[in-house]
Amino acid sequence: MMSARLALAALLVAGLGASSARADAPPEKAALCAACHGEKGVPIDTSIPVIWGQNEGYIYIQLRDFSRGARQNEQMAAIVAQLSRDEMKALAAYFSTLQWPNLLQKSAPDDVVRRAETVAASAQCPQCHQGGYIGASVQPRLADQSETYLLATMRAFRSGARANNDWMTALLKTYSDDDLKVLAAYLAGL
Amino acid sequence: MPPILKATSVLAAVAALSWGLAGQAAAEEVAQATLYGDMSAVTQTMLDHAGHDGNNFLMTNGNYSQTRFYPNRQINTMNVKHLHPAWIFQTEVKDTMETTPLVVNGVMYVTTAFDHVYALNARTGEELWHYKHKLGPISIYCCGPNNRGVAAYEDMVYLATLDSKLVALNAKTGKVAWQSDIADPELGYSETMAPTAVNGKILVGTNGGEYGIRGFVKAFDAATGKLLWTFNTTPENSVGVWATKDASGQDLHRDIAAEKAALAKGGDPYKTLGGGVWQNPAVDLKANRIYFVVGNPSPDLDGSNRPGDNLYTDSLVSVDLDTGKYACHFQYVPHDVWDVDSVSPAVLVDALDNDGKLVPAVLHGGKTGFVYVNDRRDCHLIRVSEAMVPQENMYALPTHGVGTRMLPGANGGVEWSPMTVDPALSLAYAINLHQPMHYSVKEAAYPAGKLWLGGAFSVIPTEQQWGNVTAVDYNTGRIRWQVKTAQPMIGGIMATAGGLVFTGEGNGLFKAYDSQTGSQLWQFQAGAGVNAPPAAYSVDGKEYIVVGAGGNAQLDYKRGNAIISFTLN
Repeated sequence: MMSARLALAALLVAGLGASSARADAPPEKAALCAACHGEKGVPIDTSIPVIWGQNEGYIYIQLRDFSRGARQNEQMAAIVAQLSRDEMKALAAYFSTLQWPNLLQKSAPDDVVRRAETVAASAQCPQCHQGGYIGASVQPRLADQSETYLLATMRAFRSGARANNDWMTALLKTYSDDDLKVLAAYLAGL
Repeated sequence: MPPILKATSVLAAVAALSWGLAGQAAAEEVAQATLYGDMSAVTQTMLDHAGHDGNNFLMTNGNYSQTRFYPNRQINTMNVKHLHPAWIFQTEVKDTMETTPLVVNGVMYVTTAFDHVYALNARTGEELWHYKHKLGPISIYCCGPNNRGVAAYEDMVYLATLDSKLVALNAKTGKVAWQSDIADPELGYSETMAPTAVNGKILVGTNGGEYGIRGFVKAFDAATGKLLWTFNTTPENSVGVWATKDASGQDLHRDIAAEKAALAKGGDPYKTLGGGVWQNPAVDLKANRIYFVVGNPSPDLDGSNRPGDNLYTDSLVSVDLDTGKYACHFQYVPHDVWDVDSVSPAVLVDALDNDGKLVPAVLHGGKTGFVYVNDRRDCHLIRVSEAMVPQENMYALPTHGVGTRMLPGANGGVEWSPMTVDPALSLAYAINLHQPMHYSVKEAAYPAGKLWLGGAFSVIPTEQQWGNVTAVDYNTGRIRWQVKTAQPMIGGIMATAGGLVFTGEGNGLFKAYDSQTGSQLWQFQAGAGVNAPPAAYSVDGKEYIVVGAGGNAQLDYKRGNAIISFTLN
C-alpha cells in the first residue's frame, strides 16, 4: 500500500496527471522545490541535499531557519520568502512521506569505514542521528545523503558559516578535515 | 502482528485448547481483561504496599521508595543457574529500549522507542493490545527516542511522550481516555520518563536541559488530565550562595568575580537555565512529600552567561505532594559546567547519620561517581560514598579547542540508570560508566529550542572504556564489592529477596550476581544490548524476571526489540 502511494506521489511530483482535488496531492508550492531538489528526488547538483524522505521536523525547522535568517542561502531565502508557516509545515510533511532516492553512491572501503566509525563514536553522532543514521523528527537523515553536500555542510558548520546549530560547530571544531572526509564518504555510502 | 517465539505459540495453543468450548467471544473477553476476572484496577492501597507485593511490579522503580527491591525468593542464589526464557515478545520497534515492564495481576505493560505501549499476557507473552502514539512533527530530544515505561492507576495506564504530551490509556483496551499538553516541544521540552501515580495525581518531570528550557515537575489529575500544580526547578532567584566546592569538598574552580559581573549585566538566568527532571520522584507517604533530582543547567558546558549556583540544577529537591510547594533542597554540584548532573532517581531508605542514629534518608547515585546520602527531613548531606569510578582532573574547567580531559566523562559515573537497594544488607547497587572525555567550551547565545551545549564533550577514542557494578554500604559510604564489565553500563538494576541482583550490559549479556558478594551466578546472551531496568513478578505462584533487550542510542549499543521473561522449569 505504501509503495503504491509513493509511486502515485512520484507521478504527481513529475507533473503527470496531477490533480489538485486529491487529498494527498502535493502542496502547490512543492513544484518550487523540484527545480533544484529534483523532480524525482535526485537533486540536480551534488551540492544540493536530498529532501525526499528527509525527516518532517528537520525540513520544517530548516525552512523556518531560512526564513528567520538563522541559516543563510540566497536561493532558499528567496523561496521561503513566499512561504507561510503552514505552507512550510505542509511541505515538510509532504516531502517526508516520499521515498529516499538512489544516488548510486558507493559504500566506503573498509579502512574508511573503520576510521569513520571511530570518529563517529567519539563524537557520539548516533546519539542524535540514530542507529543507521536515519535521524528522526528534527534530526536529519545522513545515510545516503550526497557526499559532496555532507562534506560541505560539516565544513560550513565547523567554520561557523552555517550558524543555525552552534552545537555542531562546537563539536566539529574538535575534528580534522580528514575526519570530516571519511565521515562524509562513510555516511554517503550507507 | 509481531512474531513470538515458538514456545509462546505452543503455550498459547495449549491455553486456547483448554478454553475448549467457551467460544471465541469468551476468549476475547478474557484476553481483554485480566487472567483473574476483573482485577485490573490498581488501587492506591496496592501502590502503598507495592514494596511487599511479590505478584506485581506496580511502578517503574518497584515502590514509592524506589528501592527496586523485589520481595519474592523463589528464584534465588541456589537455583538461579537454571533460569531460562519463559517467553520472548518482539515489539514492532527495533530501537533503543529503556522500559521497565509493569505487571498488574498477570497483565504486563511495556513501552518502546517512539512511544508505543503494549499490554501482554505476563504468563505467555501474548499481545493483548498495542498503542502507537502519533508523534507531532516536532519532537526534540538529546539522547535517543527513548521511553522508560508507563504508570498504572485505577483502570488506566499513563504515557509521557517525546512530543511532551501526557496520554491516559484504558488499561483493558489501550484506547485513549484523554491527552494533555505538558509543555511546548518546539522549545525543547520532551518526555522519556515513566510518570508516577499517587493519590489521584500523575507526576511528571521533563527533559530539555540541553535546550535552555525551564525545568519543572508537574502534577496532573489522574481522572481528567487537568494540571494541578507546577514546581519550577529554577527559581526566580537561582544565584544561591556562590559555593566554591561540591558536596564532596572538591574545588569547582569558579571565577566568582566574573560571575558577579555577569549577573549585574545580564540578570538572573532562570528562564532558560535548564534543570530537567529525567526520572521519577520518590514518594514519602508519611511526610506527604516527594523527592527528586534535578539535571544540568543550560547550556551544559558554558557557565559564562548563567552566573550563580544555578539553583536547583544538579540538586536533590523535596516538595509537598499536595501543593508542589518547596520543602528543602541540597545541591550536589553548584554551577556545573561538565554535565555531571543528577539523573538516577532518588531512593528512600533509613540510614545511619554521623552520630550512628537511624534517620529517614534519601540516596542518589551521581554522574560524579558518588552515592550521596542525605537526610530526608531537611535535605542536608550526611555523607558521600567512596568514588565508584576513577576521578581525575576533577572539575578542571572546559577549554577552547580540543578541550580538557577529565574523569568521569559526561555520561557518568551513574547515568539515568536507577539504583537498587537491599535494605537488609544496607547496600545500594549502582551501575557505572568509565568513559574518558574531553570537555570543550564555546560560548553561544540561547538558540530558542535548539541543542545548547555551549561546547562539546567528546569521548577520547584512544582510551579504554569500561563499566562496573558497585555495591555501596550507605551507612558508611564504603564500597562493599565491585565487578568490572567490558563496556560502560547503562540501564538499571534490581535486587531481590533471593539474594540476587540482576543487570544487563551493552553487549547483550544479562547477568545475576550474588547480592552479598558480587559473584556472578548466571548469564544470558540476549542478542541486543540489555540497557533497560529489570523487573520481577509472579503468576500462578511462579516467579519471573523480565527485561527489555533493545540496545541504547546514547552509547550506540546494538539495537533489538525483545522483551524477555525468564523463569525456572
